[in-house]
Amino acid sequence: MALWCGALWPMGGKMAAPMQRALCGAAVPWRWALGPRWLAAAAAPRWRLVGALCLQRPPSITQALSPEQEEMAQLVHQIEVEKSNFSDHEIRRLAEEEQLRKMKDNIQDEEADSGQAIVLAQDLEDAWEQKFQQFKAGPRITDADKCNDRTSLNRKLDRNLMLLVKEKVGNQELWLLPQAEWQAGETLRSTAERALATLSGNCIQAKFLGNAPCGLYKYKFPRALRTEGSVGAKIFFFKALLQSGDLPQAERKEDYVWVSRGELGDYLKPDYLTQVNRFLMDQ
Amino acid sequence: MRAALGKVLCLGKEMFLKRAFALSRVTAARESPTCAVGSTLLSCNRHYRSQPTHGIGRFRHLLPLELSKRKRDRIRMKEISAGSDHAYGDLNIQMTAYDMCLVEHFAQYVHKLCNRFSIRVIESYAMPTKTTEVMVMQEQGSRLYLDAVLTTHQRVVQISGLSSTFAPVLLEVIQSNQPEGVHLSVKEHTEADFKVRLKARPELEELMAQMS
Repeated sequence: MALWCGALWPMGGKMAAPMQRALCGAAVPWRWALGPRWLAAAAAPRWRLVGALCLQRPPSITQALSPEQEEMAQLVHQIEVEKSNFSDHEIRRLAEEEQLRKMKDNIQDEEADSGQAIVLAQDLEDAWEQKFQQFKAGPRITDADKCNDRTSLNRKLDRNLMLLVKEKVGNQELWLLPQAEWQAGETLRSTAERALATLSGNCIQAKFLGNAPCGLYKYKFPRALRTEGSVGAKIFFFKALLQSGDLPQAERKEDYVWVSRGELGDYLKPDYLTQVNRFLMDQ
Repeated sequence: MRAALGKVLCLGKEMFLKRAFALSRVTAARESPTCAVGSTLLSCNRHYRSQPTHGIGRFRHLLPLELSKRKRDRIRMKEISAGSDHAYGDLNIQMTAYDMCLVEHFAQYVHKLCNRFSIRVIESYAMPTKTTEVMVMQEQGSRLYLDAVLTTHQRVVQISGLSSTFAPVLLEVIQSNQPEGVHLSVKEHTEADFKVRLKARPELEELMAQMS
């Protein structure tokens, strides 16, 4: 083989094919020798597969504008208003104001009231103003915000909220995303759906955006727990959006929270958190 | 003089041209009053055709041949691609809102986002505006009176070839950037969606019904 290399290098370029043939010729007996060991290594699964669910409640109101954005928005609005033409309503209102002024000046000469509309533009505006005063918008900062009740879904309406559960893994209690172990014959997405069903008992309607996982976290078990079959576990995360429903309030009040991205650090372990942060899209 | 001009007209070698140029410049200076008065088409000393830069602006011969289409043949439905196991076919991202500026800006944002992600955007069009009159019962009487006129605007961005691994990412980005008041829906493109855009021709339909 070494002689072959020495001979072929000066030719340059076309050494690939003969080299490949030589390698194949030499490799076949090598592979056969390691045959049984290689097959044995692939047969037993070395990693446990777990499907986890990242259930997100989408925000229902937009976030407040920053001071610069607010200033810019006001300036742009002012420019637009000053550059725009009058609308039909405004033209009508100006015409009626003109008419009223003329009527006041000519009140001695004419008292004819014909041709005047019953409802003036000004009256319409007053009626609209009254209606607007009666309208009350819902509060942006809810009660749950004020008392920082993390188990309620009404908190932080302008942000994504994620579900975290406390589970016993090994011999310690950990906060993590709801997960279930993969069983043979099902897809990983159905594993995540099963995790949701076992957790909520069909109270929650969630929409999965796709079949592909969005993130991965793999870890090895401590040496004491490692067996021939399982060295560690790989957790595949699937994202789902909450359509309706909530966890049944009666059971397990301390075992679950709905948190925003900033509060994840209070609950998750650092390694787990870095992997989860990789697929979160909000601020 | 005439001989010199004749040399200029026949595309000679460079030496020839330089000499001819010098001569023609002299002649042009003297004859400029008469040339300037008449049109250039009448004069026979059109130097530029002999110059090497003649035809420098020509580009129509480089474009692909466009067959002239008659107006009736122009509206033809493009083939709707059905998706494979790993990619979606033609998808319609429909955005509906009462505020036209908002929905147009959002449609532009979605289009630019797809360009950025190298997703093929087939078409980006608007559906006709629907006007709704809101009639409210009068408080004193029983008559309905006109309270408001609402216009509903719809914009559609048609994309194709979205891979199944990327679809959740795109959908989440679009959903999280959805403005207030805009209703978003992503559907597969069908022939019915195409037919909705075309206007019905009642006379033609009447005649067809009469024929058959």
